[in-house]
Order: sequence, then structure tokens, then C-alpha cells
Amino acid sequence: MYTSWFDRNLKWIYVLPAVIFVLVMMLFPILYTVRISFFEWSMSAITPPKWVGFDNYKTLLTQERFWKATGHTISFTLVAMVLEVILGVAIAMLLSRQFRGKNFVKTVFLLPMVATPVAMGLVWLLIYEPTIGAANMLLKSMGLKPLLWLASPNQALSSLIIVDVWQWTPMIALIVMAGLATIPSEPYEAADVDGAGRWRKFVSITLPLLKPTILVAAMLRLIDVLKTFDIIYATTQGGPNLSTETLNIYGYVLGFQYFKLGTASSLLVLFFGLVMGLTLFMIWMRKRMEGQYD
Amino acid sequence: MTKRKRTAALIFGLLTALVLLAFAFPFIWMLLASFKTQSQIMSEGQLLFFKPTTHNYTSVFKEYDFLKYIVNSLIIGLGSTLLALLLGLPAAYAIARHHMHKLSLVILVARIIPGITFLIPWFILFSKIHLVDTYTALILSHMLVGLPFIIWIMISFFEALPKEIEEAGLIDGCNHHQVFLRVIMPISGPGVITASLLSFIFSWNNFMFSIILAGDKTKPLPVAVFNFMSYSEINWGALMAAACIITLPVLIIALLAQRYVVSGLAAGAVKG
Amino acid sequence: MNKSRKRWFGGGLTLALAASLLAGCGGNSDNNSASGSNSPSAPAASGSAAAKPFEGKSINLVTANHPWAEAIKPLIPDFEAATGMKVNVESFFEDQLTQKLTVQFTAGSETPDVFMFRPLQEGKLFFKNGWLHPLDEYVNKDPNYDFADISKSAVGTATVDGKIAGIPIITEQEILYYRKDLLQAAGIEVPKTIDELVVAAKKLHDPSKGMYGFVARGQRSPLVTQVSSFLYGEGADFLKDDKATINTPEAVKAFTTYGTLLKDYGPPGVLNMSWPQAFGIFGQGKVAFLTDANSLYKNATDPAKSQVADKVGFAPFPAGSAGSKPYNITSWGLAVNAKSADKEAAWEFIKWATSKEIVLKTQEKGNPGARASVWDNPEGTTGFPPELVAVIKESVKGGVDHDRPTVINVGEARDAVGEIVQKIMTGEKNIQPVADKANEALQAIIDQDKNK
Repeated sequence: MYTSWFDRNLKWIYVLPAVIFVLVMMLFPILYTVRISFFEWSMSAITPPKWVGFDNYKTLLTQERFWKATGHTISFTLVAMVLEVILGVAIAMLLSRQFRGKNFVKTVFLLPMVATPVAMGLVWLLIYEPTIGAANMLLKSMGLKPLLWLASPNQALSSLIIVDVWQWTPMIALIVMAGLATIPSEPYEAADVDGAGRWRKFVSITLPLLKPTILVAAMLRLIDVLKTFDIIYATTQGGPNLSTETLNIYGYVLGFQYFKLGTASSLLVLFFGLVMGLTLFMIWMRKRMEGQYD
Repeated sequence: MTKRKRTAALIFGLLTALVLLAFAFPFIWMLLASFKTQSQIMSEGQLLFFKPTTHNYTSVFKEYDFLKYIVNSLIIGLGSTLLALLLGLPAAYAIARHHMHKLSLVILVARIIPGITFLIPWFILFSKIHLVDTYTALILSHMLVGLPFIIWIMISFFEALPKEIEEAGLIDGCNHHQVFLRVIMPISGPGVITASLLSFIFSWNNFMFSIILAGDKTKPLPVAVFNFMSYSEINWGALMAAACIITLPVLIIALLAQRYVVSGLAAGAVKG
Repeated sequence: MNKSRKRWFGGGLTLALAASLLAGCGGNSDNNSASGSNSPSAPAASGSAAAKPFEGKSINLVTANHPWAEAIKPLIPDFEAATGMKVNVESFFEDQLTQKLTVQFTAGSETPDVFMFRPLQEGKLFFKNGWLHPLDEYVNKDPNYDFADISKSAVGTATVDGKIAGIPIITEQEILYYRKDLLQAAGIEVPKTIDELVVAAKKLHDPSKGMYGFVARGQRSPLVTQVSSFLYGEGADFLKDDKATINTPEAVKAFTTYGTLLKDYGPPGVLNMSWPQAFGIFGQGKVAFLTDANSLYKNATDPAKSQVADKVGFAPFPAGSAGSKPYNITSWGLAVNAKSADKEAAWEFIKWATSKEIVLKTQEKGNPGARASVWDNPEGTTGFPPELVAVIKESVKGGVDHDRPTVINVGEARDAVGEIVQKIMTGEKNIQPVADKANEALQAIIDQDKNK
């Protein structure tokens, strides 16, 4: 038996449990992190957290390791995102026509992104292994010099970018393919009448129409690449010589290996700011480019 | 003209095959290596043709309690997905029907925030209330990953439902709650499946939350596999067997429910 | 979006599945198994002269997944029968162990009562955080226990601020592993000094044939413990009287030797190697020399893990300009939780587990212990290859009681030291500025300790 009060307020009754859950699980940790970032504490039972003001932030902002980690995070994110978008659009165009086995191809495409990242990290460790790995076998069979891949500070970050590109280009491709399906055929018919070539049609019709889709896809990737953790932790844990240490990994090391909860928290606050900032920037870009409000 | 077409088709076919191979290769490599002995992995002469052994698989189950980890992963994955559905479906419905888009933004923020931001507070909180190494802590944390996805996907699903369906229900004398339970839910199968599959996969794959919040009793597969690497000598065959075991279920889900998973991944994006 | 709308409604066959999923919503119960099952905190009836003074009591023991734990578990029923105490054992992998203990202690848990810990890695942190109960008052209570029999340097490792934080159970020293067959074929003597080692490694290094001269840990943090013996051999150390000393000429020389050995004569990818990978490639027969802890010897001599099992030789750590000074440390100890409800019972267990009789038994299973009398007992060395026993006895003599900077924040300090070696391995020529900077970082870590 439902009272009319219940019916009137149903939307709140429906929404509140989820919202409360998210707020409790999310808001509490964020506020706690912000608070702890002004303290120095190693979980000691004897020494309580000590108020240090902005010292943790000062320590980080004047520290080479922090800026290197920031640099790794940004370059990893931007390079991976740009490569994934370009390759993803290219692959979507390649597969846009109808052919036998298209569903099979789509299924294979799903595999990298649904497969457990930690397990895939291990597989890539084997592939990149300098003496027995497939990557060097391939290079050697093409008559090229073998590389050290993850074992070299100069190549490790690029090697990890390749893994991310392998894992997530399919997502961009699938999203773009879905977007392609929504493009009306009239503009192409008109272009055919004008005698436009394939490339011309792609640049002046497909790309502009796909722009919103591509932007959203790129934004999703941006958010997620910034947060990449599993693949890096399972393969290099930030090494060799910190060459793959991103903010995510450094935050983890500070918190759970050094037990410097204050410094770790201030890093996380800064990292959070970076993610939010970049996300808002992308949203702003999108709105500006679309010139409208959704 | 036909010749040109045929060459084009050939190039297209080759390119497709190449792309396919590039993305499938790590899986093929993993599968092959999981049936090789250590010395077969080491020797370049036995790339594709070798005498397969199932020793890696038996040793993974015998030496490490993999069955236990599989059960842990299942409990956590199913638990977090079901609870997230319980919270997420009504919320998504209300948001979709009453255009509460500000609220959906709150949910979206959960998707944007780096998970590691939660880890330290959770670790301290769950330690203090003795919840570390319990399914409760793991399910709660994994829900925070699954719930936003479920809500996000289901909002677009419910918005696509024609309003007439509900109006018909209301005329039949149902109240709004009954309409949701008896009219809307039964036709929401495809959306719910998509949402729950993704939520389950995210939980199954989650490593970051589990590595901190799980203990010996509740350790799920990703953490177990990772430990497996750190503490034995690098036994590639067994590692790859473990990797196969852990990826197999998600791969099967992806194969059987390909269109759901694709539509789920694409829905959030294309809709924006 | 029409197309996708159609798709949404496409799957009618899935309704049943969906319904069953939903039906599951309400009745979902998460298996909540709370972890902190408390031990009974009944008042201790200590001092009673009964034959089984601990009848009806129980303690919780947490161990690492370590051969020592495997050796002690079958012996526990004897202890239980003798004392009437019940011992509940739980085992964890190394990293999980630290984390598990941290969680328990942070929560102020009374369990575990007794646990395995790594004195040099987490001993100081645990002690300073007030998580360990000092054992000074117990060790000399029972003369039969013969505390003086336990190696001084091993006890030194497990001592924090002059207090005994735990009792050593596993000791280890750094030694040189080499390939007998290769040295013999090339007519090379087993290197006695670092200089000889460098020459020999160079001679046997032949990458075109897949043969490498030398391997050791190259990963930033893991390498620190293994470079320590090189450091001591040159008369250097990580710190001295609260001053960081990793930029002294002696220290830089030691780091350069280690880094250059790995850079010039190491296998590819050594920068990412910790001991499993180093022993792995040594076991594949691709490397002539390896330096690491003796406690890991089975990875080289177990035919299941090593293709050169019967060709491995052991030698004392080669001497630097200040002699052969390998670390000789307690890698694992047993300690008592400061919050344990029954510390007498906890000590009773440790006393038993580290008694002469039990150490003999665990050592027979290949766990190098800390008791001099057991090492002097011929039965005490049956668990090791005879050649290794001689090397161990030799190594213990000049050993240093730490293998890493003895600070609270070991993890951070190791990373600071490791950077110097990794820079050398990646070809950095001008190493003094790198060492100076690392020294500054280490000094900052030492200074932090003083405020605690």
C-alpha cells in the first residue's frame, strides 16, 4: 500500500540511495584527503598527525621527482590520446564498409579493452622481454636492431604508450564506427555529383560531421589515460629509474610504500586538480568548437 | 576498372588482416606461451610449432589456490554489480524521467576522479572499522566504479523509452512505483544486461582498489596473479597460464555478448 | 540515434536473464567476514606452577610465505601439547604481510600476538609507531634459553633505539655465486677480490653467444641491499652518526664498480631485474657470476628451477680495498604486538620457536638461523651444501649488521640510494653530482627521523 506522499516524492526516493552512496564513498575520502594533505602522519599510534600547513605542497612543488612525474603523466596522456584518436579514426574508416566477418573483427576489437589489465601487463612484459620477447624477434626478423623496451629508461614510457594504444584504440574505433552509422548519406550523394574524391569527401564531410563524436571519445580517453595505473604498476612500477613514474604511481608509492600519508594526499589533491582542470578544458573546447550548449 | 576494384579489395583485405593480427597478437602469444615449457619459451625455434604441455595449468591450480581467487572475484564482481543495479536503476530512471541532469553530473564526477584519491582515506577508514580484507569493503569500493556506469548507461536507455508505455501503465491503475517495477523493468532487459556486464567486467578487472583493500581471505584474481609474478622465479609459462585463466571469463562475456558490450561502451560516448 | 534505439529493444530473449538478475537484487547478501577476530582476553593466570601453565589459552601467529614458516608449522602441535596453548597460524606474501600488519596495528587490533617481520625493512617504523613490544625484559629470564648464543650482529639488526624489537629467526649474508664449469674451462681462479671479479667477468662476457659476465639486482630499490657489501668492502657505508655518506669517494667508487659491472657485463634488461629475474637468468646458464643473498641459494641449485644446478659454486663475497665485508643480517625476526592481550603467552611461543632445539630443526630444513651453537653442531648444517656452509661460516666473521640505510623510512631511502647506481647503469659519466643530490635526499630522510 503506497501513500500519496510516497508517490509524490518517488523521484527522490529513487535517486537518494545512489546519491548518498556516491557522496559517502566519494565526498568523505576527498575531504579527508584534503585535510590530511596539511598534516604529516605515518599512521603512527604514538605520534598523532602533525599540522604542517602548506609544507607538503611546498615539498612537492620544489621537488624534481614530482615535476618529472607530472611530465610523464602529461606526455603519456597526450601522446597516447592523439595516437589513439588518429589510429582509431583510420581504423573506423577502414572498417566502415560492409564485408563478411565484420562482426568477428568487432569482437576481436573488444578483447584488448575488456581483458584484465594486470594480466595484459604480464603478457606485454613477456613480449617486451629483451632476450626472448616477441617484440625483439620481430625487429630482428626485419633486420633491425633489438631494443631494450621496458628495461631502458629512454624507451620504457614509449613502450607503455604502445600498450595503451593497443588496449584503447579499439574503443575510439568502435565509437567512431557508431558515429559513422548516424551520418546521413545526402552530403555524400551531393559530393558525388560534384565529382569529389575520397580524401576530399573524408576531409570536408565525414570529419566535420564526426567531430562531436571524436571529441567525446577523445575526452573519455583523456580522463582515463590520465588515471592509468594497472598497466604501469604491473610492468615497471614506475621504473627503470623512475622513467615511467606517473602521478598516479608516485602517489601510490608515497602513500603505501613510504607511508607518507600527508605528502601523498597533497599530491593526490594536485593530481585531482590536474584531472579536473583538463576535463573542464576539454568540455570548454568542445562547447566552443560546437558553438552551442548541449 | 574491375581490376582496380580487385586491387582495392585486396589492399583492404590485407590491411584489415594486419589490423586484426596486431590487436589479437598478444592474446595469441599468451595462449601459445601458456602451453609451453620454460625452455620452449626461451628457444626461438619453437615459436609456433611445439609439443604442448598442460603442466602450467595444473601447477597454477595445484601450487596456488586459484580456485579460491576465482570464487573471490566472482563474489565481489556479482555482489558489487547486483548492489549497484539495485541503487542505480531507480536512480537512472528518476534522473531520466524528471530531467535531474544536475544529479547525473554528480554521478559523472565519480567517473572522472582518479580512484587513487579514495585509496588512502578508504584504507584508514576500513582499517579502523575492521573491514579490510572483507568482501564488504571490496564490494563497496567496486560499486563506486560500477554504479556511475550503470546510471550513465541506463539514463540514455530510459530516455529512449517512449513515454506512452508508462502512461498506459498509469491508466491501468498502477502508481509510479508499480509502473517502474512492473512495466519499465521487464522491458529493460537489454539495457540492464549491457550495464551489468560492464559493471561486472570492471569489477573483475579491478586491481588498484583490491591490492589495498583485499587480504589473504578475499584476494581476487588480479592481485593473486600479480603476486604470482613477484614471488616466484619468473616462470613465464605458468604466468601466461594464470593470465589466460583470468582473462578467459571476460573474453567469453565479450564474445557472447559482443553487441551489448559495444553498445554500452559506445552509448556513453556517442550520447555524451 | 534511431538505430541504437532499435538495438535497445532487440534482445527479447534476454528478458528472463534480466529478470533473474533483478530478483537477485533484494536478496543479495554480501559475505561479511570481519577480519579482526579477537583472541580471548581472559586475565592471565601467570605464575601458576601447573604443568601446562597456558592451558586453554590461544595466540595468533602471522607468518610470511617463507620456508621457515613451512618448517615451523609441523612442529607447532608439539608446542601446543607441551604448553596447552593453541596457536592459530595465518600466512601472507611479503608485501601483503607488511600491509596486513599495518592495517591491524592502525586499527589497534590485539591480533596477531606474534608475527614475522623484516627488522631492517619495517622494524624501525613499527617500533617508532609503538606497534612492537620490546622484549628486553624477557630474553634473560630463562637461563636455558641462552640468549647470548644468538649472534650479536643478528640481534643488532633487530635492535631499535637500544631495545630488542624482535628475535632473529633467519639470517643471511651476501655471497658470490659462480659457474664452476665456465671458470674451469677458461682457467680462471675463483675471484677473491672485486678487482679479480671484474677481470673474470670481462673474460667470460660474450654477448654474441648469449653469455654474460655478471648479474645482480638492477632494479632501483632491490639493488640497494646487494650493493651494500660492495660499499662496506670499500670502507664506506650509507650513513654514519646521522650523517648521510653516500657521496664519499669510497661510496662512489663502490657504486661505480657495481653499476659498471652490470652495465658492461650484465644481460640486457638488467635495469628491471630483482632477484627472481637475476636468479632466473643465472639458472638458464647465461651468466657466469651472480652476487646475492645466500638464503636464496636453492633458486640456483634446485634442478626444477635451474638448468645449471650441479654447476654452481659458492664463494665468500670478494674483498674490496677494505677487505671482504658482506652484510650479515637478520632478514626475518619474530616480534610481539604491543597491544597483544597475553604477552607472556606470546613470548612463550617465541622462546620455544627460537630455542636451540627448534632452531636446529628449522635449520635442518635449510633456514639459516642465528644461533652459534646450532652452526657449530654438525647436524645444524645438513640442510646446506657443504661448500656453502664453509662460505657462510667465513662470511659471518667480517659481516656488517645491516644491508640498507637504517632509517624509519627505508623505502624512500632505498630509492634515493638506488638512483645513483641506476644512473651509472644508464651510462651517466659524471656521477658525483648525482651522488651529492642523493646524499642530500638521504640526509633529509635521516633528519626527519630525529623529529620522531
